[in-house]
Amino acid sequence: MNALLVSAILGVLLMLSSVFIKNKSYIHTLALAGLAGLFMLNLAELNGWLLFEIDLKGMLRFDRYALVMNAIMLASLFFYLLLSGRAMEKVGPHYADYLALLFFICAGLFMVTGYASLLILFLGIEVISIPLYILTGSDKRNLKSNEAALKYFLLGSFSTGLLLLGIAFFYGARGNFSATVSVDPTVVGSSLQLASLLLLLFAMSFKVSVAPFHFWTPDVYDGAPTVFTSFMATIVKVALFAAFVRLFEDTFSLQFSIWQPWVAGFVVLTLLIGNLTAVFQQSVKRMLAYSSIAQAGFMLLAVYAINGDSKEGLLLYAASYSLATIGIFAVLSHLQDYTFDGFNGLAKKQPVVAASLAIFFLSLAGIPLTGGFLAKLFMIKAALAYQPWLAIVAVIMAVVSVFYYFRVIQAMYFRSADDQEMMPEFPKSFPILLLVTALLVVLLGIFPETLLGLLYF
Amino acid sequence: MQSSFQLAFLIPLLPLIGFLINGLGRNQLSKQWSGLIGAGTIMGSFLVSLFIFQSVESGNTAVVSYFDFIRIEGLRIPFAFQIDALSSLFLLIITGIGFLIHVYSISYMHEESSSSFARYFSYLNLFVFSMLLLVLGSNYVVLFIGWEGVGLCSYLLIGFWFKNQVYTKAANKAFIMNRIGDLAFLLAIFWLIIKTGSASFQEVFEFVQGNQGTSKFTATDITVVSLLLFIGATGKSAQLPLYTWLPDAMAGPTPVSALIHAATMVTAGIYMIARSNIIYSLAPFTLTLISWVGLATALLAATIALRQYDIKKVLAYSTVSQLGFMFLALGSGAYVAAVFHVLTHAFFKALLFLGSGSVIHAMGGEQDIRKMGGLSGKLKITYVTFLIGCLAIAGLPPLSGFFSKDAILLSAFLHQPLQYGIALFTAFLTAFYMFRLLFLTFHGSFRGTAEQQAHLHESPALMTIPLIVLALLSVVGGWIGIPAVLMHEADWLGSFLAPVLSSSTHEVSHATEWMLMSLSVVGVLLTIGFAWFLFRNYRERESKGLLRFFEHKWYVDELYDRLIVKPIFYLGRLLKEWVEPRFIDALVNGVGKTVQLAGRQIRFLQSGQIGSYVLLMVLAMVTVLLVQFFIRK
Repeated sequence: MNALLVSAILGVLLMLSSVFIKNKSYIHTLALAGLAGLFMLNLAELNGWLLFEIDLKGMLRFDRYALVMNAIMLASLFFYLLLSGRAMEKVGPHYADYLALLFFICAGLFMVTGYASLLILFLGIEVISIPLYILTGSDKRNLKSNEAALKYFLLGSFSTGLLLLGIAFFYGARGNFSATVSVDPTVVGSSLQLASLLLLLFAMSFKVSVAPFHFWTPDVYDGAPTVFTSFMATIVKVALFAAFVRLFEDTFSLQFSIWQPWVAGFVVLTLLIGNLTAVFQQSVKRMLAYSSIAQAGFMLLAVYAINGDSKEGLLLYAASYSLATIGIFAVLSHLQDYTFDGFNGLAKKQPVVAASLAIFFLSLAGIPLTGGFLAKLFMIKAALAYQPWLAIVAVIMAVVSVFYYFRVIQAMYFRSADDQEMMPEFPKSFPILLLVTALLVVLLGIFPETLLGLLYF
Repeated sequence: MQSSFQLAFLIPLLPLIGFLINGLGRNQLSKQWSGLIGAGTIMGSFLVSLFIFQSVESGNTAVVSYFDFIRIEGLRIPFAFQIDALSSLFLLIITGIGFLIHVYSISYMHEESSSSFARYFSYLNLFVFSMLLLVLGSNYVVLFIGWEGVGLCSYLLIGFWFKNQVYTKAANKAFIMNRIGDLAFLLAIFWLIIKTGSASFQEVFEFVQGNQGTSKFTATDITVVSLLLFIGATGKSAQLPLYTWLPDAMAGPTPVSALIHAATMVTAGIYMIARSNIIYSLAPFTLTLISWVGLATALLAATIALRQYDIKKVLAYSTVSQLGFMFLALGSGAYVAAVFHVLTHAFFKALLFLGSGSVIHAMGGEQDIRKMGGLSGKLKITYVTFLIGCLAIAGLPPLSGFFSKDAILLSAFLHQPLQYGIALFTAFLTAFYMFRLLFLTFHGSFRGTAEQQAHLHESPALMTIPLIVLALLSVVGGWIGIPAVLMHEADWLGSFLAPVLSSSTHEVSHATEWMLMSLSVVGVLLTIGFAWFLFRNYRERESKGLLRFFEHKWYVDELYDRLIVKPIFYLGRLLKEWVEPRFIDALVNGVGKTVQLAGRQIRFLQSGQIGSYVLLMVLAMVTVLLVQFFIRK
């Protein structure tokens, strides 16, 4: 709760800072320091210590799960800023504003992980979405960026409409917006209740890019400036998944038997479309957009199988997926050629970068010793409790994903660059930072209990 | 715990450090340093082993545990060392003889480049390290680590001159043959873990003794486990049917042969069975099998050795034959006699191999004894020490071989008189082929080229000193196990090993024992005389009939080739040329093509048009709502 307010204040501060501070690296440092502070605040709250207390009137509820999720997001954001912070300068002249928007989004993220009322959920989603529309179109000279922003805005508005309608029906059925109050069993089957359930399912599916509501994702991710794609595809998505899980675990738990088959269907569709389309991409950026859809299919298993395994798995998934994808996008934003050939011969020129990238891709593909493996394992185990065939589909699709992830590894290690001039140059500290991120991914795969332990002590 | 035992970790650690330094620094180290590090670390281990041996002799034993190697539900395998009479004795053999071989190697390998010189010593150190781990381990798993380690090192060293393809093939052969045995050993370990819930010697043996015959550990379990362990031992210790790798292992440098045949590797199987003697004492069927396999191997290898012309091959087959004797002893339940023979054999076989290395060195790489002859004049030290080695292996009193071989023959006599007869005959064969080797090499007239004759010289001191030390040991090494009939209470070895090895206490009259001894001594003397008569002036002759059969090693390699290798190759070709392209490839490519096709179709959904996106989403929503409201209700 503290972090929510502080991040909004930090956003305002950063916006003002561009007037006073001209040196961009100072602003960058300021943002990093702010994030570190937020992380400490969040950690303190996790240990039961609050800077200030506010009566929330039952609108927000920061339980351990929300706080651990926030910690994961803040840590990912920290690494994101470390790795890609400077690449943001290339997008446009309003560096401080971009950072300010990130902090505003951050406030929205805390709202969606900690909401206790559907109104806050709606507010949080809008607080996230509106800055994202801006960031998507922030590369003003680039037509693709403009087009993506417009598409995102139009389709986003459409889904917001669904969300509002769902919440309205919800109020009609229950007479309140509370996400936590358990439902009177007599209204469980009412048509209003059902309609609100399905509409909210569609709206949330849209936000986390689950098929068949994923169409915006490839176009927007591809068109947006790479640094911001990275942010949207990881931290934002993870937070929305946390909200998704909370909505269906708390609010709609009694209608479990109604929504579970639909979610199963969405999982299968998402996995199929995400993976099969990713196979065909020539641009690594677009491939990653589809891969984020495919990974969303896996994360949706956490919604499908609401149980202890899946909730823990989602945390692990959030951490390993975010870190790996952030790392990959950070490298990508330094490349000139976004096709697979752009990675040719990287292992010779930049062995540390290539090795870290390899670890990231292995993690995304779910190879043991990486966090991604355990995350997938948790998800599949959770699904097995209900439907074996769903787990089988998930495993097969994970195998398909190996094809397009390993293409990059193959390009880096087994091909040589045709044109040495095209090789990217990285800042000096970049390979080390990337390696640290990669090591974190590996550590998550070996000692997952250090992260999951936070939930219980 | 005895304070000196706290140093036990140093014994394997020092060679490991030597391996790391020599292996990693092979491009930087000079030859002097590599040799010094290689031999020095073994020397260090030897000194620590001496300490520990002293402590064990005064009655201390212990299991020193370091850390948990594996810990999972219901199973705990510690990384621990067992220090008792058996392991401390083997420690002395391994490090002591290993050290002499290292010293000898410094001179023998001096022509190598400094990088491959260091590589050689790093392998040698790793070899000794693995063997030390093998005998120190307090459970089957640690033993297995060492077991695999010696397999790997033998592979590396046999193929040390890897540019020669014949040598690398010999290395492959050794490795593959060993792996066959290893598989059985591994199965035995799994079997024991499943049945007893432990892999440590102490717990397994207690469990087996406590539960034998009950449903927890049936007679079948005992037989299967003991058989599997024995199959493992036949691989490492070169017994029928897995012995063929050992003669081919001659491809390695000669000191490596000495190491493999005397101090490490081949004795591993004997050690393992002696260590498991509590299991074997409960498995009479397996014991009988072991004694017959050992005997058959001893006889087979001895007959082959009769007609070999490569100096190292003769020695190699003699090792196989002597190992057969040891297994005969194990099978007769005379574990002490087997370990005794390991010890004495280590002395004289190391001596003989290093001596043959000295001969090969003098002959400029020539190994064919038909091209030697009359070397006794030029290589005096080598000749005298080699002669001592021959006398020892032939089993003439009071040299070491006499006592250990006599112990084995006696146990065979008590166990099964028929086996005694065959073993005695094999012992005569041993004397015959060894003296044939001696006479062909050192007596008569020189049959090589004039150039070789001019080159003949005694080896440098670094090589002859180990020879002299080993010759001394070959003479006196047997005096630790003098039977009671010759000297009262002189069987030190038997009482030393008594806590570890169960022994059969058959009483036999002194008259019988005297008779057996004199029979073997007289027989051996006659055989030597016969060999002198035949080979003192050697002329080459075409071998015929049975001898030709022996010369071609009973055609065992050809038989294995026909029965096993060829069919496997055939099967491999079948799979490669027919099954793989038609089934596997088709399946894999088919899946890939399907995925691509599906991806190509699905891709068109992503048109880029907002209108079509919204349309598709609305269609999906409407479908869901309709189904939910009208069909699922």
